[in-house]
Amino acid sequence: MTMRRLPHPELPAPGVPVPELPVFAEGVGKRYRRGWALEQTSLTIPGNRIVALVGPNGAGKSTLMGLITGMLRPTVGSIAVFGDQPNGRGMHPAVSYLAQPKPLYKQLTVAETLTFGARTNPTWDQGYASHLVEQAGVPLHAKVGTLSGGQRTRVALALALGKRPRLVLLDEPLADLDPLAREAVLGALMTEARSQGITVVLSSHVLAELEGVCDHLVLLHKGRILLAGDVDRLSTNGTPLGELVLHHMRAAAAQEAAA
Amino acid sequence: MIWASFRLQRVQLLTLLGVLVVGGGALVLLRSSMVGAITSARLTECVERGGTACASVDQNAFLDDWSNLFQVARILIIVLPILIGVFVGAPLFAQELEHGTHVLAFTQSVSRTRWMLSKLVVALVPALVVVAVLQYLVWWWLTAAGTLGPRINGAWHPVNFGIDHVSPVAYTLFAFAVGAFVGVVARRTLVAMTAAFGVFVVARFALDGQVNRFVTPERRVAADGLTVDMRDGALSVGRGWLDAAGLEVPWDRAVSVSDACRTTSSAATQGQEEFLACMRESGLENRYSLVLPESSTWIAHLYDAAIFGGFAVLLLAGTVWALRRQS
Repeated sequence: MTMRRLPHPELPAPGVPVPELPVFAEGVGKRYRRGWALEQTSLTIPGNRIVALVGPNGAGKSTLMGLITGMLRPTVGSIAVFGDQPNGRGMHPAVSYLAQPKPLYKQLTVAETLTFGARTNPTWDQGYASHLVEQAGVPLHAKVGTLSGGQRTRVALALALGKRPRLVLLDEPLADLDPLAREAVLGALMTEARSQGITVVLSSHVLAELEGVCDHLVLLHKGRILLAGDVDRLSTNGTPLGELVLHHMRAAAAQEAAA
Repeated sequence: MIWASFRLQRVQLLTLLGVLVVGGGALVLLRSSMVGAITSARLTECVERGGTACASVDQNAFLDDWSNLFQVARILIIVLPILIGVFVGAPLFAQELEHGTHVLAFTQSVSRTRWMLSKLVVALVPALVVVAVLQYLVWWWLTAAGTLGPRINGAWHPVNFGIDHVSPVAYTLFAFAVGAFVGVVARRTLVAMTAAFGVFVVARFALDGQVNRFVTPERRVAADGLTVDMRDGALSVGRGWLDAAGLEVPWDRAVSVSDACRTTSSAATQGQEEFLACMRESGLENRYSLVLPESSTWIAHLYDAAIFGGFAVLLLAGTVWALRRQS
């Protein structure tokens, strides 16, 4: 895999120092025929964070994730992931991405799904991946097509984490789960992220889902970033995150109405 | 990735293996049983072209027993490319795109090109091998039947041509490529299956016999002045009359002279010799035919393979291109 190195400024990162930033985007934008899905945006995601990528439907969350994974090519600007530029030839070995519909081969068993991960990822950790599946109580020899939504999410998560990534992107991972499964999935994810030092980006159109677990927020609205930063810096005066987000959204809406 | 491709193609691969084992076994058994039948009915001479006294009761009994089986074997080789295009080529990528599982493959650490190539190779190579082996066995069987079987019509006969030489493999490649390409563009398995069937059938009918024009015809002169011997399986692509110097007489002149010769005496009493004498008086010496000898079918097969194979390569290149653009 050939990737172009991009220079990036050293940012002071709280907590564990990281050699390279998980995401460093400069003036990056993506335009489709119907218009800009993401307008020119500069964004830095520091290491060791649980990032909530929040915004209403159509705000550009999936587009931003697509650009980070290299599944999409930016129309303008550049984006660097751990200092490398995604080139669309395959994922960065340190990055995992779980797309919104959580695609899995329904005809494979859980064990075969993990073998698929092993055969397609050079950095695969089979012991760790099967540990994650067993921990979730998912039977290894069941066909993926027969699993419940929560179990399927756990398998998809094991597939994403089994390659030992340093950055995990999860597009609306909780959208189709019942509250109990939601709690279990988030709990497992947080445990792994904290203990393995993984940066996790979770997208959702409902902030309440992620409030309390995230320590970094990126708020998107109509293809633009309204708010980005560490949660404890954003709400210095103790304003709840939810109110802060609502405030910015209302301000944006008022601006649009005025214009 | 190869493991994954094998695992995901398992149903198709096992079906192909089943077709190979059952079909291949049946063909081997049928051939040996037929060879026994030919020997016991003392028809061995009739296998070779030009065998004498072959229009016998024994031969008719043999044909009653075997001609339907010959047809089934020929239909198998004609239909196999369509089945592979519809059931192997069409779902290959369309199913992944339809279910979104291509995203799963794209988000692992393998390049798209490797993913595509491994899927293509694992699906296509076994299919081509099965077609080639079954086609060879059918050829081997029909060769043993010789002129007692469909070979009597010669290698230029459209059905015989379609199951011979490199043509079946080229047809398979083409049907597969149509299915794979439409699958990537339409992203719907059913659309891809329908297109693979429709496009293949239309292309086969439209191009049927077209490659014959790439073979240079030979001029064959009637030995008795009137009848050109075509019993060696050659294909006639034109005919006319030669003058005493051996030059071709223009067609409309040959027609007017032959019309005149037919009406000079009453048709009922006129023998062939009188007619020929009349023609020769006007300078039309011998009938001739332009024929494609059976021994040059291979040239047409190579053109056939180049055309279908060329389209297949273009379609597969288009498939790869469309998949690389896929997001």
